[in-house]
Amino acid sequence: MATVRPARRGLISVRSCLERPRPAGARTYASCTLGRAQKDLDCLPPVGYVYLGNVAYDKATRLQTELVSRRIEQVRGGGAGISRLIDVLLLLEHPPVYTNGRRNKGKLSDEEIWRVRAAGADYVETNRGGEITFHGPGQLVGYPIMHIKAHHLAARCYVEGLENTIIDVCRKLGLPAFRTPEFPGVWTSPDRKVAAIGSHIRRYITSHGFGLNCTTDLAWFTHIVPCGLEGKYATSLQTELERHNNHKGADFSSVGVEAVVPLLVESFGSVFNVKMEPLATLSPATLEFIQDRLQ
Amino acid sequence: MSLRILTQSFIRQRVFTPAFAARFYGTKKFTSSHEWIDVEDGVGTIGLTDYAQKSLGDVVFVELPEVDTEVEAEESVGAVESVKAASEIYSPVAGTIVGINEGLLEKPNTINKSPETDGWLFKIKLSDASEIDKLLDEAAYKSLIESEGH
Repeated sequence: MATVRPARRGLISVRSCLERPRPAGARTYASCTLGRAQKDLDCLPPVGYVYLGNVAYDKATRLQTELVSRRIEQVRGGGAGISRLIDVLLLLEHPPVYTNGRRNKGKLSDEEIWRVRAAGADYVETNRGGEITFHGPGQLVGYPIMHIKAHHLAARCYVEGLENTIIDVCRKLGLPAFRTPEFPGVWTSPDRKVAAIGSHIRRYITSHGFGLNCTTDLAWFTHIVPCGLEGKYATSLQTELERHNNHKGADFSSVGVEAVVPLLVESFGSVFNVKMEPLATLSPATLEFIQDRLQ
Repeated sequence: MSLRILTQSFIRQRVFTPAFAARFYGTKKFTSSHEWIDVEDGVGTIGLTDYAQKSLGDVVFVELPEVDTEVEAEESVGAVESVKAASEIYSPVAGTIVGINEGLLEKPNTINKSPETDGWLFKIKLSDASEIDKLLDEAAYKSLIESEGH
């Protein structure tokens, strides 16, 4: 509902889009939908994207932990003299690994862990939400490290944004896909999930994110109950396109990870209403921070 | 408004010791990250506000600290999970954990249904009662959340 704004409004719209400590008593914005008011959309920080190729899961986790810690420090006004990090969208692939969410810590039996390792993958417990899933070749993994408060996003709206981003990618490929409040993720039918979601939020800074099956070998998913959902199956863009035999809307010879990256970046930008730029141009300092930690 | 807060603190310091004040003044304070803390007899009960539970969506899992853990102000003490996002929760004050809401382990959505009463998260024995003076009172918190305007 529109309310009458005081004359300060002009001042707000001119304000720089860079993060800076807010003066005491300043209004703190918050928004609960992606249908944010125009005044909120006027000043969203841009997001730098980078495709990192194949990255070991533990290296990626350590990187995210350090990125998040540094961002939290910055937002609280610290980190003077150290390069400022910006919002990033990390895009990558992992070698085969099963990961589990924090609510399942210690819950997998030794036998189950043995079974997944015998399949040729690692098993890692994480601090993200969600349950057990698989990451591996052919799956585009995305880790947005964003300060959602600066984007006027509530946690559940951020997650909805991730889902809508992937739904938009599917739309471009001529694939109907949808989200459902009961089961976070992106579905192509009531029992086929094409993308899994699991995030961690510390002081409004996000980490972890999503895994979109592009050409993933779905046999990997048969060793687990994906996301703890019996009777539901993992699918991939390739499998769904083969089923539908439908390329309306765009003509792509391949739906491999690298082909999907530009589609995803574009959809992310339009769903979240942010300018997406290559991280190398937007913030060389952030890119250097990342590359140093992936040595 | 700020003048009133100053006056209240001033009177309390002049006439009462913090412990004495805590016994007679049940104070509900708030943080800008949408937690509430209700202090009585030097023990604070902490939870998430209604605004926070709306932002999270349906809570399906709660991770709480262990009793007897000593925590610093602003330290992470657990997490709340909704829509597959695990959001860390922080203690607004320093002290020792003296109780957790075990009911939430069975019924995490109590946080959505009664965030400011039955959905309390944990209780902490404050090591420094004056720390709550730095937090927002109800009017300041209401003004904070109203400023979003929709």
